[in-house]
Amino acid sequence: MKLFLLTLGFGFVSASIYALLSVGLSLQFGVTNFVNFAYGAYLGVGMLLTYTFSATLGLPFWLSIVLATIGTGIVSMLISEFILSPFVKRRKSLFYMLIVTFGLSLILDNVLQIIYGVGFNEYPIGQSSPVTIGPFSFTGNQLIIIAIAGIVMIGVHLLLSRSRLGKAMRAMSDNADLARASGIDTNMVTRWTWFISGALAGLGGIVLALNIVSFQTTSGDALLFVIFAAVILGGIGQTYGAMLGALIIGVVTEVSTVFISSAYKQDIAFLVLVIMLLVRPQGLIPAKGKA
Amino acid sequence: MSIFLGYVATILVTLFTYNIFTLGLNIQFGYAGILNFTVITFMAMGAYFYAVFVMPPANASNQVFYILGLHWPWPLASIAGIVASGILGYLIGLIALKRLRSDYLAIVTLATGTLLYGLSGDQNKLFDGWAGLFSVNQPFQSVANNHPNTFSWIFVVISGVVMLIVWWFANQLYSSPLGRSMRAIREDQDVVDAFGKNTFKVRMMAMVIGSTIVGIGGVLTIQYIGALSPAGWTTGETFVVWAALLVGGRGNNIGAMLGSLLVAVIFNEGTRYIPQVASSPNLVPDLRNIIIGSLVILSIWFRPQGVLPERKAKFFELPLKDKYAQTFGGVSANQELATEV
Repeated sequence: MKLFLLTLGFGFVSASIYALLSVGLSLQFGVTNFVNFAYGAYLGVGMLLTYTFSATLGLPFWLSIVLATIGTGIVSMLISEFILSPFVKRRKSLFYMLIVTFGLSLILDNVLQIIYGVGFNEYPIGQSSPVTIGPFSFTGNQLIIIAIAGIVMIGVHLLLSRSRLGKAMRAMSDNADLARASGIDTNMVTRWTWFISGALAGLGGIVLALNIVSFQTTSGDALLFVIFAAVILGGIGQTYGAMLGALIIGVVTEVSTVFISSAYKQDIAFLVLVIMLLVRPQGLIPAKGKA
Repeated sequence: MSIFLGYVATILVTLFTYNIFTLGLNIQFGYAGILNFTVITFMAMGAYFYAVFVMPPANASNQVFYILGLHWPWPLASIAGIVASGILGYLIGLIALKRLRSDYLAIVTLATGTLLYGLSGDQNKLFDGWAGLFSVNQPFQSVANNHPNTFSWIFVVISGVVMLIVWWFANQLYSSPLGRSMRAIREDQDVVDAFGKNTFKVRMMAMVIGSTIVGIGGVLTIQYIGALSPAGWTTGETFVVWAALLVGGRGNNIGAMLGSLLVAVIFNEGTRYIPQVASSPNLVPDLRNIIIGSLVILSIWFRPQGVLPERKAKFFELPLKDKYAQTFGGVSANQELATEV
């Protein structure tokens, strides 16, 4: 029981990381209606920009995180503006959009590898001693991860429910043509969506790096299908579904380590994905017309 | 001279195996519109399963571990490898070929690829982990009296013949009723459904046939090289096949083969001679991947139909007299009906 609760705690940490990432992916899918296969590389952009700002330029670590998050958002927005949007405007079919983002993942990964090399990096911060809260035990960094995810999730909720931009995003998600017809500047909304999606990917990459301590350029790619699993579990394009999916995937993968080797953690996520596609492909909270 | 002859042979075998990979992907994507983002995993399955069927049981004292080790004769082991690829294709199809958007299939293929790559690397009991399998039995090695060039040229002939058979088969499939159904599904699955075709079954056929063909290429690859490790089937390799198909012309088998000549042989082999930068040994391979990725994107932008586009299907048309009936075809022909808008 003690071990179970301990792993449950780690489950919350993983769930926090996955929540940031799957909300970012899901928001963008909802608005643009195609999956971004280069998303894994955006994680790498975030974690390595933070490394540059903190280790190379010597900026304070918190400032590096903020700058790298915004930086990844800008990279994502520029990629959308100059590469993806032109394809969308030509009304290329879904096939081609997916292949374009798939090709983009190869390009971004290799650009990162040229800049940062293939070796492992670590952030210039000390490892704090574990903190025990009730039955759980966390490192200081893990508590920060949970706090960041909590604040961001509340922020996303407020954005979607209270702000003009969030309402426009939901409108586009339901029906892009109708949104355009009712006077929403869909180009602007798309731009902002890519910025937010990229920023969440970057931030997710940073907290992932905080959790695994030493990381390399491709650390984010292996996680891509875990994020897909969380997003599909919740219902693709559904933001709150993505949060729920992330929580389930995070907890299930970590708790599974009580019973089987932790080397199979990601295989568990894959299993959840497969079962979900076979039993309920529309997800726990289905979105209309997206499956 | 003999080194040069051996090199030419290797180039030809590379060309023929990549032709086979691209023809397999063409059946999946070019015919049926199936996005297989892990083509190279099927090659690896074919190669690995050939190896573990043909090799003797693993000898633990060498610190080399793998499953099975059945020591079958090579023709049977080849069939086992090819069937293994087909089965993997079938399993992925079962998960993702139901009535779901093409995103899901792409996600499942990518996830399966990542998973199998990690598993075969980390679990050294499966296919000897990251070290990979080596000294795999090569057929005809004894016929060639272990003379490398004789073996290479025997293999050029074998892989060439296999490639021609696959090409012939792919063409037969293209013009068969099954191939027509595949292409119809690619254009509009709902319409084909409405005509009462079992689209799941047709797409599954394309998935399995394509995977099997890529598996054939995998078996040939390991028979020629005699070794395979995870480093030989990274995601980058999948892109080479995709770039070849998109550059050459999806849906056109000659185009697919031209594409693998241009991308897999001329570009990939040509850039092998760029001298390495001593300070960053990965620079040239990284740049090569960037160019391959750009090639994929640019070909979709500038020439999505490829260098050799798929030929438009011709149908028998009734000689219609009515001018309005004749204008039915397209907007430009519709001028007589057009009113000021």
